[in-house]
Amino acid sequence: MSDIKTEVMIGNYSIARGLVEAGLELAAAYPGTPSSEIIPGIIEFNRREGRHIHAEWSTNERCAFEVAFGAASTGKRAACMMKQVGLNVAFPSFLAAKRKTFKGGLVIICCDDPGPQSSQTEQDTRLIATLMGVPVFDPCSPSEAGDVAYYAMEYSYKHKIPVVVRPTHRVSHARENIELYEPGTRKVSLNEGIFSQSGERVAHIDALKNDIEGKVGDVRLNDNRSPLKNKFGIVASGMTFSIAVDVVSELNLSQKIPVYKVIKVNPIETKLFDFVESMERVLVLEETDSVLESAMHRGNKIFGRKNGYVPAAGELTYDIIRGVIERLADEAGLEMSGFRPDFSIEESLKEVTFTPRPPKLCAGCPHRSAFFAMKHTYPDAIFPGDIGCYTLGISMGAVDTCIDMGGSVNLASGFYNAFSQDEKFIPIIASIGDSTFFHAGLEPLYDARLTGKRFILVIMDNSTTAMTGMQPTPQTGITADGTKSHSIKIEDVVRAFGVDFLKIVDPYDIHLLIETLREAHTHLASTKNHLHKPAVIITRRECLLSAKTKPAVSSVEVDIEKDCIGCKRCVKYFDCPALVFDEEKRKATIDEGLCVKCGMCLVVCSMKRPSKKAKNR
Amino acid sequence: MKLEIVCAGIGGRGVLLASTILIETAVKAGMKAMASDEYGMSQRGGSVVSLVKIGDCNSPLIGRENADILLVFEESEFYRNLVFLKKGGLALINARKKVLSIKVEELLKVRRIDCYFVDADGIASNKGSIQASNMALLGYFANFGKGPYNAETIKKTIKEKTKPKLVEKNLEVFDAGYQAWVE
Repeated sequence: MSDIKTEVMIGNYSIARGLVEAGLELAAAYPGTPSSEIIPGIIEFNRREGRHIHAEWSTNERCAFEVAFGAASTGKRAACMMKQVGLNVAFPSFLAAKRKTFKGGLVIICCDDPGPQSSQTEQDTRLIATLMGVPVFDPCSPSEAGDVAYYAMEYSYKHKIPVVVRPTHRVSHARENIELYEPGTRKVSLNEGIFSQSGERVAHIDALKNDIEGKVGDVRLNDNRSPLKNKFGIVASGMTFSIAVDVVSELNLSQKIPVYKVIKVNPIETKLFDFVESMERVLVLEETDSVLESAMHRGNKIFGRKNGYVPAAGELTYDIIRGVIERLADEAGLEMSGFRPDFSIEESLKEVTFTPRPPKLCAGCPHRSAFFAMKHTYPDAIFPGDIGCYTLGISMGAVDTCIDMGGSVNLASGFYNAFSQDEKFIPIIASIGDSTFFHAGLEPLYDARLTGKRFILVIMDNSTTAMTGMQPTPQTGITADGTKSHSIKIEDVVRAFGVDFLKIVDPYDIHLLIETLREAHTHLASTKNHLHKPAVIITRRECLLSAKTKPAVSSVEVDIEKDCIGCKRCVKYFDCPALVFDEEKRKATIDEGLCVKCGMCLVVCSMKRPSKKAKNR
Repeated sequence: MKLEIVCAGIGGRGVLLASTILIETAVKAGMKAMASDEYGMSQRGGSVVSLVKIGDCNSPLIGRENADILLVFEESEFYRNLVFLKKGGLALINARKKVLSIKVEELLKVRRIDCYFVDADGIASNKGSIQASNMALLGYFANFGKGPYNAETIKKTIKEKTKPKLVEKNLEVFDAGYQAWVE
């Protein structure tokens, strides 16, 4: 044990390690939470192990999938990574890959987002893979995710079929100590089956029977030939399995409730059905759809999402799982050390006011200034929004819709035509980020240009894919491993489509941006050259988190203690996390730990001329 | 043994680095350790919770009233996460003022919760780096000798796991936080 090198890492790095050890030769991905750290992990381990893996950020998931598929076809071990909704983008090629044979290995790591925490939906990749007849594995921890990734590559290579690995965010982003092996030397078998109270896997039901019988008189676990059944068992996969084991232990039920772990969700091992047979009640814990539950169809002994024991949607948290297990254990008449929540905690906190923290754009974020200008200029406009940090413009009233990558441009087109048919012309201001524009905004913009849609498209260019962790965009001309390549300028693409109203504005120049928005609207209102629409404004300023030069400290210093009249305009319209309203003092205060001193909030201040002392700098 | 720790704060304040130091320290002590982070959609300024479980556990997730320790890097997050803390648990809060409502005071008393206010921001600012307030809170925490955590073990991890150019400052702030308890 002490000879094996270990390292604390997140699940996504463990997956990367597993793939690299399994002889990965090519990896392609489009960043998307919670999958984004796998490519950087592959690049890191490729470097450390001195291998020659090609790893790239593709412009979208279909590109990533097809690049990996192409490589697998020729005999390479290839993998692609995406978030759950990314698989929808790659769906045509996913379906094709299933039918076409290839010579190498093809692993699709598709990370799900139960909740969802950072997605539009919490769709279950296990369900899609199962429906399409593609093998899919659901690991329960970071270390198992590494093993499963390794196993999946071997499995795919051996059987010449694509294999999906589906970690949830709780696996992808959990951290633990991971063992590192020399490439090609990891010994992996899927540890499916029943876990006994000690957390060790038990080979089969008989073994567990022996394990339990000696210790607890009233518990009998029998195979399906016997009429005597165990009262209550749990079937779980993924992180819900790990939580279930912890909960069963907390409730002192380890010796009474066997927990069966499923890793291979499709195809299901038949021994699972033996387990189900030997139980009077089976609770199924899985995220997020009823995939295992549907496969069991054993009548009213199965408890899960379908009969309402488990909530119909949403992440299965520790508390939810504890509640369900307690309820069923109670119904089964099992004695336990039950958990009684102390609601005096909530009661005592009722009168406490504390800062609510809904997700917000960072202090100093250039998007905030852009959204402020949009909303300020045309408060009654329709604002189709898109997917990325700037979806958060919703709290400023400058994002009305959010459906999918690139959806803002198409919706703007649809809205324009709908109003136009009714002979109305109202401002429509769509927003899309730079990475999303390349991912899915090009065709929609071309279509809009071809048919002369009269709306304003604001392309929010912060030179990075910020929300998922600063991956480069095509405009940066930087590849996944940091090497310089060809840069594709957004304005060049927009011009090539024949958009004639194209302005590039620094969003920190809010007054200029307001003027430009008005100008764009006037341009659209003109009946001349109606085919030269829509209007495009690129708001360009580097994301603060990746910018090498921080914004110049505002030359205006405001004595907020003295000047603030408590009108709350800044809090209401500028929505910066560094601005906190002190209800006692009736004044806005600035959180110095967060404020970056960009000075943008002064634009909304009611005290149009706050007594300022020019800084001598 | 088992120790469940909730680290709560807001983005950009070093919550994740603090939990990294806790998990690495436990691993170095030869213990099983897991962590789970939740940072929502905000990059900066949103609620961040990092759960650390060490010892006998399978998942890194923590249930209501199960945490042994609540480390709060931003005061308002104390109230949001108090529900995690078990009876007889320990709470360290980065806050200047030491005023709680009477009801909360009573609750802490009834639940036998040990609650300490640490001016970690102030300690870190004195050393010229408010961003290092997480180190001040960890320093204070080292006094309690919980599980594998003491000044020596945590400092060793800080040396190995924080950015080389910040190590010296981090250790300085950590020490100041450690000594704040003695004063």
